[in-house]
Amino acid sequence: MNYKINIDSKDVEVDKDQAKEENHKDTKPLRSPSDPLVKVHNSISDSLKDNYHSLDSRREANTNNIGSVVQKPHSYKKRFLSIFLAIIPLIVLGAMIYFLTSPYGQNIISTGIPLPEITIEKIEFHNNQIIAFIRNTGPEEVTISQADVNDRIHSAAIEPSQTLSRLGEARVIIPFLWNPAEPYEVGITTSDGTRFSNTVEAAAPTPIPNINQVTLFAVLGIFVGVIPVLIGLAWYPFMRKITKNQYNFFLSLTAGLLIFLGIEAFLESNEIAAVNLAPVFNGQMLIPVVIISTFLGLYFISEYFIKKAESKQSPNVTSSSNSFENPQTAAAAATKDVNIYKNHVPVSTQGSNYSPHDKDDNRKLVSKTFKDNGTSPRSLNTIQTNNDILKPLAISLMVAIGIGLHNFGEGLAIGAAVLLGEVALSTFLIIGFTIHNTTEGLAIVAPLAKAGKLMIKRLIMLGLIAGIPTIIGTWIGGFIYSPLASVIFLAIGAGAIFQVVYALIVWMSKSFKQTSQKQVVLTSKEEMQNTNVVQTNQKLTNISTNSGLSIIAGFILGMLIMYLTGLFV
Amino acid sequence: MAKNSSQEQKAVGGHTPGYPVIKTNGDVLDPITIAGNSENAVVDPVKYLRDFNYGHVTTLPNGTTLREYTIIADDSEIKEVSPGVFYNVWTFNGTIPGPTIRATEGDTIKINFINNGSKPHSIHTHGIHPAEMDGVFDMIGSKGKFTYEFKAEPFGVFPYHCHMTPLEEHITHGLYGVMIIDPKVPRPPADEMVMVMNGYDTDFDTENNFYTVNGIPYYYMHNPVQINKNELVRVYLVNMLEFDPINNFHLHANLFDYYPSGTSKIPVELNDIVTMSQGERGILEFKYKYPGSYMFHAHKTEFAEKGWMGIFQVVNSDSNIGDQSSSTTQQKSELLPNNSTSHNNNNNSSSSSISNANRGI
Repeated sequence: MNYKINIDSKDVEVDKDQAKEENHKDTKPLRSPSDPLVKVHNSISDSLKDNYHSLDSRREANTNNIGSVVQKPHSYKKRFLSIFLAIIPLIVLGAMIYFLTSPYGQNIISTGIPLPEITIEKIEFHNNQIIAFIRNTGPEEVTISQADVNDRIHSAAIEPSQTLSRLGEARVIIPFLWNPAEPYEVGITTSDGTRFSNTVEAAAPTPIPNINQVTLFAVLGIFVGVIPVLIGLAWYPFMRKITKNQYNFFLSLTAGLLIFLGIEAFLESNEIAAVNLAPVFNGQMLIPVVIISTFLGLYFISEYFIKKAESKQSPNVTSSSNSFENPQTAAAAATKDVNIYKNHVPVSTQGSNYSPHDKDDNRKLVSKTFKDNGTSPRSLNTIQTNNDILKPLAISLMVAIGIGLHNFGEGLAIGAAVLLGEVALSTFLIIGFTIHNTTEGLAIVAPLAKAGKLMIKRLIMLGLIAGIPTIIGTWIGGFIYSPLASVIFLAIGAGAIFQVVYALIVWMSKSFKQTSQKQVVLTSKEEMQNTNVVQTNQKLTNISTNSGLSIIAGFILGMLIMYLTGLFV
Repeated sequence: MAKNSSQEQKAVGGHTPGYPVIKTNGDVLDPITIAGNSENAVVDPVKYLRDFNYGHVTTLPNGTTLREYTIIADDSEIKEVSPGVFYNVWTFNGTIPGPTIRATEGDTIKINFINNGSKPHSIHTHGIHPAEMDGVFDMIGSKGKFTYEFKAEPFGVFPYHCHMTPLEEHITHGLYGVMIIDPKVPRPPADEMVMVMNGYDTDFDTENNFYTVNGIPYYYMHNPVQINKNELVRVYLVNMLEFDPINNFHLHANLFDYYPSGTSKIPVELNDIVTMSQGERGILEFKYKYPGSYMFHAHKTEFAEKGWMGIFQVVNSDSNIGDQSSSTTQQKSELLPNNSTSHNNNNNSSSSSISNANRGI
């Protein structure tokens, strides 16, 4: 380690060796310990030391050296010193930034001219007008000097101002007699003569949020999102009749469907980020950030509340189903997840309170429950306890929310497509979405198939949670489209779906384990076959051979169904 | 432009008729309503139009007229080439196009060239002259000087431009102008004007963003060129456009006699459109029978809609609204920035540019 920091090197090196020796031997140092140089030097060496053991030992030694200092004030001092040391780089950094922004610093680093950059985020077509929404995505303030349509200069108004600060926005209104369904390129020229442009494939009147358009989008959303999901729910009675293998098959089918939806949302957000979003937002990196955050956030929340609910074993049924009636918005998804869960984890008649007063108790119960879940050899036929209806319902709810978020993104995409004139909404397209989304209903009911009896009302609520966001999505996408919001919402949807898939797989592996524990026959061959799907599964039975196959088949079929129905869109 | 934003409501329509008019509280982006005649403008097209520079005139011992011009090249200035659009222009005497050199066949033309720029430049004139006066092999370095001296021949209209390579770069940035050599027997009196068709590639993608006649897009749309009914108009038209292989001029509601390169006094055709390749030029002569506003523009309509359009406003000669050009007094002048003589023969008097040229200097 190099100690040549801040202090004359020779001095320090000698000192250091001395100090080391003295520290360890606890003898009198060459310099007095109270000598400021030694103190500083010791502290520096301490803080630089990456070996904590020696650090600690020397800390002690150091303390001895200094002798008269009492332990507590000293550690306080130490803490202060370490804070100070942590701040030093920040101070240096601040000074550096100050220097670079000063005229002198500017002279040194002005090696190039920062180029302006304008992003045309959205182009709207109104009556005898084209409106372009632009953003200054360059490094510096920019003045807009000219607008053109199809590379022909046109008069235009720019609001609020032709001067755009960094990341500032403006509307460029160009009086223009455009033709429907024709492509248009809108160009913006900055004061230095640089031209930026964006193209619309086919001009279409921009939806205006009047009652007709709102209704139109709502109807669209209902046809594309709500009805298909509800149709899919109608598989519930069928699902209740099926065997365990079939159950596993449908669960994995659900996982396959969801994985497909998640990847679809991911790719779609990526496309928007790459094509429509200004590079300054670094949209493609934003996506994984949002996906992973959503995944972890939902994971934490759902785990926490499932555990909590399980520990109580007797959730409240008396609360109203308010939260079901409100459409699920992506932003509020996390909290609502919680609320819904609280309100509707049903079945038991026992009232209970959720006040978190005895946490310790909870914790014990949680661990106990998990132990039970993990080890008790209960068969699927007997899982009719509160706990067992609770978990599938929770998973169904999460599936519904995940799908709801996805459908919200899908709604955004549909609305935006109408807005951006990228797609003509044909009957064929709507039929395609309908078929595609029907499978989502199946995904919601699959986890419930072997659980206790469920009220039809709740089932429909689940369907609405999944479906209604489509409507909201089409409104937002159609009226206030923003590529950044689209990317974020789609990424949230993807994260939520991946989290649901994770929960589903965990659930499947548990139910699978429970099955297998009944028949204790080992077959290593199948183990090889199945480890991919069910990681935690160590013991496999003859029955599980079929189970494993049906799981794999379900998973693949799920993705295939999505792919094939997706071709209609 | 930006200062307009303090006002409350402004109207925006098309810069050509027929567009709906909208109101805005913001700023207006309009190549027309915002005049390009700000102090930063690369040229004053009104002044340039009829500004002929006859040089500092002396008579040599052998009786030949010597016309001396000073032309200074610069390549550092940023000027407004279209309203609100600033571009690093390279100029002769500070404007694009550079000054119009005018002489009579047989005169001696002497151009004192000073390169004030950072790059080597030169003046290459079209016409007949010795090789060393061609401005091709002797590049004048930064802060260098050179004197071009040659006999003005033959009569006609010629471009001059920098011949430093990359040629395209030096020309498109603005180092060009027009040289007119009048025949010894003058052409008939006329309202004479120079029109240089050019373009600007402000974003360096080897495609022009703007097309103009006389330096600023759309300028003559909001400052129409005033001419008199039944008076002969003579346009010295030069195409200095880069990147696009052709350019053209179309006259509305009229036809013109066309003299390619102006090297003959006999027109080759009567037409309302003439198409020119890079560096081509000619003389157009026409009269308007009816008063009113008449467009002229590139019939390559893309160029027209990127700035190359203008209006002739034909007025009755009795109600002759003398435009900016009351100063007909001819002064001895050298071609220096801000010191060029505004010669104008717009009035309907008998004074022709030729007689002015011969008399004045």
